Amino acid sequence: MTHSDADADATASPLSFVRRVLVQAWRDLLSVYYANTPIWRLFKSAGLLFFGFFCWSASSLVLSYGIEWTILEYVRAYGFVLILWGPLTHAVIVPLVIRLRRTAERPIVRTIARNGSKINISIFLTIVLILGTAPISPMVLDFQSPLGNDSGTDVNPDLACSKSGGEIDCQLSDSTGIDSVVVTSGDREVERVEEPPYEFTIREADLEETVGQAEFVVELRDEDGETLRRYRRYVSSVPEA
Amino acid sequence: MAHKLDVLGLFDNEYRDDGFRTCSVTGLEIHRSVENLVKLFGLTAVVALLYGGIFAITVAMTRWEVIGLLDPGDFYTHLSLHAWNLLIFWMVFMEIAILYVGGPMVLGRRLPFTSVAKAGWLVMVAGALLVNYAIWTTEAPNEAPLLTAYVPMPISPLFYAGAIVFILGTVVAALPFFATMWYEKRENPRKTLPLVSFAAFVTGIIAVEALVGGLFAFVPTLLWRLEYIQWWDAAWYRQMYWIIGHGTQQINLVAMIAVWYFLTHVVAGAEVVSEKVSRTAFILYLFFINLGAAHHLLSDPAVSTGWRLWNTSYAFYGATFASLIHAFAIPAGIEAGRRKRGKGGGLFGWLTSAPWRDPVFSSTIFSIILFGFLGGITGVMMGQLQLNMTWHNTFATVGHFHATVVLGTTVAFMGLIFFVIRTMFMRQYVSERLASIQPFFYSAAMGVAVLMMMYVGILYGVPRRTAEVVENIPGTEFSLSAAAPLFAVFGIFALLAIAGGILFVLVAVGSLVFGDRVESADDNADLVADGGLGMAQDPDDPVHAYEMRGTFVLCLVFLGAFVITYLLNWYLLTQLWSIGA
Repeated sequence: MTHSDADADATASPLSFVRRVLVQAWRDLLSVYYANTPIWRLFKSAGLLFFGFFCWSASSLVLSYGIEWTILEYVRAYGFVLILWGPLTHAVIVPLVIRLRRTAERPIVRTIARNGSKINISIFLTIVLILGTAPISPMVLDFQSPLGNDSGTDVNPDLACSKSGGEIDCQLSDSTGIDSVVVTSGDREVERVEEPPYEFTIREADLEETVGQAEFVVELRDEDGETLRRYRRYVSSVPEA
Repeated sequence: MAHKLDVLGLFDNEYRDDGFRTCSVTGLEIHRSVENLVKLFGLTAVVALLYGGIFAITVAMTRWEVIGLLDPGDFYTHLSLHAWNLLIFWMVFMEIAILYVGGPMVLGRRLPFTSVAKAGWLVMVAGALLVNYAIWTTEAPNEAPLLTAYVPMPISPLFYAGAIVFILGTVVAALPFFATMWYEKRENPRKTLPLVSFAAFVTGIIAVEALVGGLFAFVPTLLWRLEYIQWWDAAWYRQMYWIIGHGTQQINLVAMIAVWYFLTHVVAGAEVVSEKVSRTAFILYLFFINLGAAHHLLSDPAVSTGWRLWNTSYAFYGATFASLIHAFAIPAGIEAGRRKRGKGGGLFGWLTSAPWRDPVFSSTIFSIILFGFLGGITGVMMGQLQLNMTWHNTFATVGHFHATVVLGTTVAFMGLIFFVIRTMFMRQYVSERLASIQPFFYSAAMGVAVLMMMYVGILYGVPRRTAEVVENIPGTEFSLSAAAPLFAVFGIFALLAIAGGILFVLVAVGSLVFGDRVESADDNADLVADGGLGMAQDPDDPVHAYEMRGTFVLCLVFLGAFVITYLLNWYLLTQLWSIGA
């Protein structure tokens, strides 16, 4: 700030001071909008891309919590469009407008060049308004995914084991959805059961010790051999029958 | 004359009879002993980066379930190798190099006990190879350890042995650095250390603290795994483990900030606005940064609520405050320094006129920005008892630490390697254009991939560490298939980021092997800041006389992003609990 500016500040009314600050802020904004060096183009494009992602995901998130503020739908649309439009504006349109203002000779092109930024912002805002009012599917993140879709029923039975006389007996509380039960210890398969109700008996002597503890792993598998559930049991913690 | 083993001529700079040379870029007096070991540790780090980066491909392409590359068992092995090579070996080898730069090189001394440093390197390499071997050959009943080999999970004893050997090697390699500090203070008891040396010293202290914590965690666990002792306390293990588990990341952080100060000064003309304030911030790290480890235990039933509150709601902010000081001091130093050099028109002219084509500069700045906005803000949120509950063990956590250690530390270290290629290996980039593009390409792609990790974690609660979630969680009715669109964005940008990483290795290694040799000071003249580094010492033109309003505006933007993100997370938490409903 120069000396004369400081004097002006001291004598100006608060209203004119505010007006001057606002005018200066608007000029700064315009100078940033039209800044056209490669690094400014990159800053603005990347900044708006990230800002767009933020607006889109954050408003989608808040909407997903059932807070149905209409403004959020437009913020979501704004963010979604900005992801593409921000870089498009500052990497392509603004440099093009600046170039056309210098080089265009035909009247139509000159008119477009003179109003290029206004046209661009108008198209952008129109798209935002349309998508805010009637959102298309790619921009609507589906948060409320229904339970019970075609991924099948929940397979989560209890595994109850007891030991007596050097043998361990195990049963499952429910066998729905299970095709086979595989018992391993260390890297060895100890037992495989392919018929419900998938009860099995294993000998303690067949189990390998890991870090001083005999243990076994019970895997429930579906018809494709995919593991549905896995239980690890230490012999020392299996209750006596 | 070059050593007979130096077939590529990478270790044959021209030194005077006393073993020193003067760096044409930094003006530092560099001794042969320091320079050669910095190169050795730096090269080893790049090998670890390359090896760990290969597993980035398999890991990312498994989590993107459209590709679904690996089975769950193989995925965890690959994930473990990815984590150990990138989070530990790439970082720690670089950090030892940084200690040698910040210590003897900046102080203009020779490296004492070079044979100890070489022995440390050998032991570290042996430990790293052993850890890799142990993970790669994991068989039942052992599990691949990732970074959390929690007792009583059975892990190969070779893994614990490898980790212990690596830790011991690191401590040994750090000894010459501490000896340098000892000699320096003994010879100049009243002279303060340069800021970068001071930062390296703080890094060294935090490093030793973390490494000793690692020995406390791993040595008894190895004895337990070998069955010399029958039982080991799992809760005690977890506490001790996180001293190294998170402590190593704090070393990354402090080392990275030392690199920020160093590189912004050299290539952009940044000056230190206030030595005292910056040093105070490093001292705050010394006392408080390790409390950040507590966020791993915020859902742990073995620690009391009082312990969690102390570590995450009060004392931890000492470290946050330090980070905020650096977040202001470094850009302010750049702004004031560049304005002093006549390079600062308008609000942001100092920034836009900066040497953006120089990959050293662009890497450093992207590291500062992306670490701050993506890693720092999320770190503070995750480190808080209440907000941690919505982040804990989701993919968002993975997003957070990729923002800190990849977008922050790795990008900064890449910049340092670009710098070392020019100033120590004395090679021109094999392609100026590719070297210029790399930081932009890698940071942008990784930035979007990281955002997607955070989004799928926070928006959908997608868990970390699993091979598959979107298509199917076996045996359950629960479905996360709605996360598929964001996972698609993640997959594409992860591939682009990996391409950026490959580009870095190609440029770095290509420059070492095929780059033209830097013959004279003029060849590196483009690296020197506008007006030369000598301007920093002009007492008649103090740096704080220059305005820093651009930095002030940037800090307000940062603060705004911080507040919005913070409020949003809190708001969602209150909705989850239906407070006031």
